[in-house]
Amino acid sequence: MKKRILLIGSFNKARALAGSLIKKGYCVTVINNNYQDCLTLSEIISLNVINGDGTKPFILEEANAQNADIAIALSQRDDDNLVVCQLCKKKFNVKKTVAIVNDPKKTDFFHKMGIDSVVCATSAITGIIEQQAIMEEMATLIPIGEGHIRIAEVPISHTAPAVGKKLWEINLPKEVIIGCILRHEHNMIPRGDTRILAGDVLVLISSIEQEIAAIEELTGR
Amino acid sequence: MLLGGMYMEIFKINRKEDDYTIIIGSGRLGTDLAVTLSVNGGNVMIIDNNKDAFRKLSSSYGGLTLIGDATDIDLLNEAQIARASAVVAVTNNDNTNIMAAQIAKELYKVKHVIARLYDPERECVYRELGIETICPAILSANEIRKLLGNAQKEGDRK
Repeated sequence: MKKRILLIGSFNKARALAGSLIKKGYCVTVINNNYQDCLTLSEIISLNVINGDGTKPFILEEANAQNADIAIALSQRDDDNLVVCQLCKKKFNVKKTVAIVNDPKKTDFFHKMGIDSVVCATSAITGIIEQQAIMEEMATLIPIGEGHIRIAEVPISHTAPAVGKKLWEINLPKEVIIGCILRHEHNMIPRGDTRILAGDVLVLISSIEQEIAAIEELTGR
Repeated sequence: MLLGGMYMEIFKINRKEDDYTIIIGSGRLGTDLAVTLSVNGGNVMIIDNNKDAFRKLSSSYGGLTLIGDATDIDLLNEAQIARASAVVAVTNNDNTNIMAAQIAKELYKVKHVIARLYDPERECVYRELGIETICPAILSANEIRKLLGNAQKEGDRK
């Protein structure tokens, strides 16, 4: 059976997410407060659209929340997102609830209130912007563990100080490991005696505090 | 009257130290409650994100006011929420009241937390979650039923 996903609030995020989820074969329903936005959303093929306030139980009922597998609250307001997720969980028994929080200080609180997955849009985006601004070489970056831990791809150029060194010879900070080396289509899990070559891309797992120091140590920047 | 209020505030005369109520939302209900509690000798703090909302407070109010978003954890710390014996969330937004109440209860373990909710359907869910809720529609309906019942009885007597 197709998994059912309910998206509540936010026009742009809901539209992008709905498009990509439908492509992956999910059955998606969107709840939006704005009638004009609903008309635009209804142009997406096989997307169910409900016009109304998703923090109201009867609107959630209309959207068949009781049959949803995942509910995702995307609105701008943290309080609305909290209420949507709690109603879905307690009243409609939705298995998994996901909420965006805009205030990073509320992430722990949302977890504590029983929301399964909390995405702090603000800290994720500022983290990426900061990285992109400081280090242009960084290709991808994934924040995990509420943004305290990050996975980054670090390309090694010819001039990098780490070139030719074995891993144990590099003075990496404590809270950093090199999880994987991508070397011409050939991916390897490194050991202490693995040598880093120019052109390697290192997959770095680190705490945010130590990340910049580690990248400096590896690339010299 | 005004001087008396200030005097009491400065020297904390007749004010119980362990009794501190934070009221969130300076509307009609919030201000009325704040003034009543304050006049009866309670320590009161009222929070609203609109400065003009405090104009509704009568001059006999001897408590404190704070401008800002009452679901912001920093602001609540500034209001010394950890010291509060009661938090009453009475803004005109149900969801704000719910979140403020849950922050007070879960993060700061405030003893009495009360939230006003306009929507009776939401109210039943949150009552189950252990938040004391007040729903004006239900209270009014009960009160009207009582009045109608009394009128009926009087009619029967005649």
